[in-house]
Amino acid sequence: MTTTLETVWHNRIFYLFVLPFAALTILFGVWPIVLSIAVSFTASATALRPNPTYIGFANYAAIFADPGFLASLARTFIYTAAAVVANVGFAFGMAVLIDSPLLRRGGLLLRLALFLPVVTPDIAGYVVWRWLYDRSFGAINALLDLVGLPAFAGLTTGLTATISLLIAELWHHAGFYMLIFHANLAIRDRALEEAAHVDGATTWQRWRYVILPQLKPAFIINTVYALIQFLKTFTVVVVMTKGGPNEATNFVTHYAYQLFDQGRYGEATAMASVLFAIVIGISLSIYRMGDKEAGR
Amino acid sequence: MRFLKGIAAAAGLLVASVLPSTAQTLTVWHDLGDNGLKWFDAMSAEFAKQHPGVTVKSLSFPTDQWFGRVISAVNTDSAPDLIFNNYERVIRIQDQTGKVSDLKPVLGKVSDKAFLTEDDLKVATYKDRQIIIPIQRVQMGFGVRKSWLDKVGEKFPETWEDAKRVAVKFREGDPDGNGKADTFGFALEAAKPRDLIHILDLFSFGTGLRHTLIDPEGKITIDEPRHAAVLEEFLKTYTSYKFVAPDTINHSFTEMYQVIEGGRGGMFRVGDWNVKKWDGEKVLNGDFLVGQWPKFAPDEKNAVVIGGMRGVAIPENAPNKALAQEFAQFMLTRAAQQTSLDNVGAAVRGDLDVAALSPRSQYFAKAEAPLIAYDFPESVHAFYPELEAAFHKKLLSGIANPPADWKPFIAETAKEMRELAAKLKSK
Repeated sequence: MTTTLETVWHNRIFYLFVLPFAALTILFGVWPIVLSIAVSFTASATALRPNPTYIGFANYAAIFADPGFLASLARTFIYTAAAVVANVGFAFGMAVLIDSPLLRRGGLLLRLALFLPVVTPDIAGYVVWRWLYDRSFGAINALLDLVGLPAFAGLTTGLTATISLLIAELWHHAGFYMLIFHANLAIRDRALEEAAHVDGATTWQRWRYVILPQLKPAFIINTVYALIQFLKTFTVVVVMTKGGPNEATNFVTHYAYQLFDQGRYGEATAMASVLFAIVIGISLSIYRMGDKEAGR
Repeated sequence: MRFLKGIAAAAGLLVASVLPSTAQTLTVWHDLGDNGLKWFDAMSAEFAKQHPGVTVKSLSFPTDQWFGRVISAVNTDSAPDLIFNNYERVIRIQDQTGKVSDLKPVLGKVSDKAFLTEDDLKVATYKDRQIIIPIQRVQMGFGVRKSWLDKVGEKFPETWEDAKRVAVKFREGDPDGNGKADTFGFALEAAKPRDLIHILDLFSFGTGLRHTLIDPEGKITIDEPRHAAVLEEFLKTYTSYKFVAPDTINHSFTEMYQVIEGGRGGMFRVGDWNVKKWDGEKVLNGDFLVGQWPKFAPDEKNAVVIGGMRGVAIPENAPNKALAQEFAQFMLTRAAQQTSLDNVGAAVRGDLDVAALSPRSQYFAKAEAPLIAYDFPESVHAFYPELEAAFHKKLLSGIANPPADWKPFIAETAKEMRELAAKLKSK
């Protein structure tokens, strides 16, 4: 105890500077989460009262007995898996393309084109995507019609609506992941590649055994970040499909939001807490795996 | 002398700060937008004539936010003095908070109320509590673009067969004359729970049926021949008839209004509250006719639908409860009701001046067309919202994957609804 206090006192200037940010994080980051978890144990009708009625795990039992929630959870996992693979894969491909000596001239333009959607307000972007997909006046079908291809069902069928959301989100997020890959590619040790080249390694072997292992930090960060991002997919659903058609894009966050709208706060926060636990669990597991492989 | 004046001024200030102020503000939360804000301002001016120093401030929230905010405010003792909305939303507030006042004694003190019908009072009552004072009947008629009708050489559709013929012409006859095939017969909605059922309610009640899904005895009605015929045509409107924009399955109110106001849908729902905006030069510029909903069989009686009742409610923990009750009573006076009609296009009194209103607003205000009211099943069956949500999901799944024959689908849906209703009733 004395040692701890001594350490704190010894680093008092550091803690002094950290204190305001730690306080803000606890106030605006941790406290709402704690509060939300607390609400998940209360009866909805009393959830916002000064003395709510606590009902234990009843809300959790209710949501796990609700086929709608289980279906939305399954839907969320499938969508997240597809979105993570698509985003990380696309971002990696683009980063490699930008890093390539073949693209010295257009690199800046491509980087700008890929990153611009990241800083575009998401709602504005998704409204435009909704218009693009519209079957009666959307540009995508106008283009398909022009070249004689069959119409794209866009947001009107379950499968195509899911694909449409995936593309819109790829447009919005991939630039960020690309930037991380590109930064990692830029700081890699090129001497190792030269040595491998001298030793007779093929291009594939250089990528497989020299470059890709160096990009592991970027892969881990991007995968974890994308997992968190897509497990929480919400705005794109609200703007483009409202969970439809026929519940096909009703992911957990939107399903919980619908319950909030009905004043079912207890069940809604229980869903949010389950999702929070899943996000934390997956993120920690991936970091642990990364640490284990790095021998830390 | 100067010193004495100073003392007197200071004493005056002190007394003024200690004495209670006569100025008082009542706060009302509603979801009526700009028209509602203007309406409450006008009522505030009228109310102040009898209650000098009293101001009524209203705040308008989008409907979704209104609901959440009212619940949290009522539950945390920071409620407004009055809340104003449709009866079914106030029922939900009561279910979630249990703190909506019983207004029976308040209405009991109003002498001039003969214009309120038994149905009006029935709707305003929930579990033996009068949760709202009825202020505006919500009327919904059938609207058609007038210039489009003229272009395709049709008259206002009286029957469903007329409406179908007009819908085909609106889709294929380039009624807006822009040379593109970009118009549709109907502007409807389907996305959110209640959207689809709301439109089905209008089709059902508009043709004279008395229930959409369940009757007061708890009997499921959707597979009864007349109901089944309406339901089948309704579902085909979204699917095989191709009368609506293909994206309608994801359309809620906002998108439905975009289709109407953007000049892409020729037939649509017109609420009494829509008329003022749609009469505007930059919106529809009055280019629409309002009438009764089409009838599905020659012997049916079609009508304009009374789809609800908007009214004022008072939370138990309203900060100025006594004054709020006086204001709620005042909202039924002729002066207040006239401001309601002028600003929102709806009222409950029949003795108001309608001369200044457009012909379309007058159609609702005079209430000369046959009127038919919803059956308000949520007031009778506590489990109705859950049953309706399941019904909505089932219909939506049918629209998303239309069967070749709707009859077995309707029969199967009726069976499922019966089973669910029995289960919910026994809970």
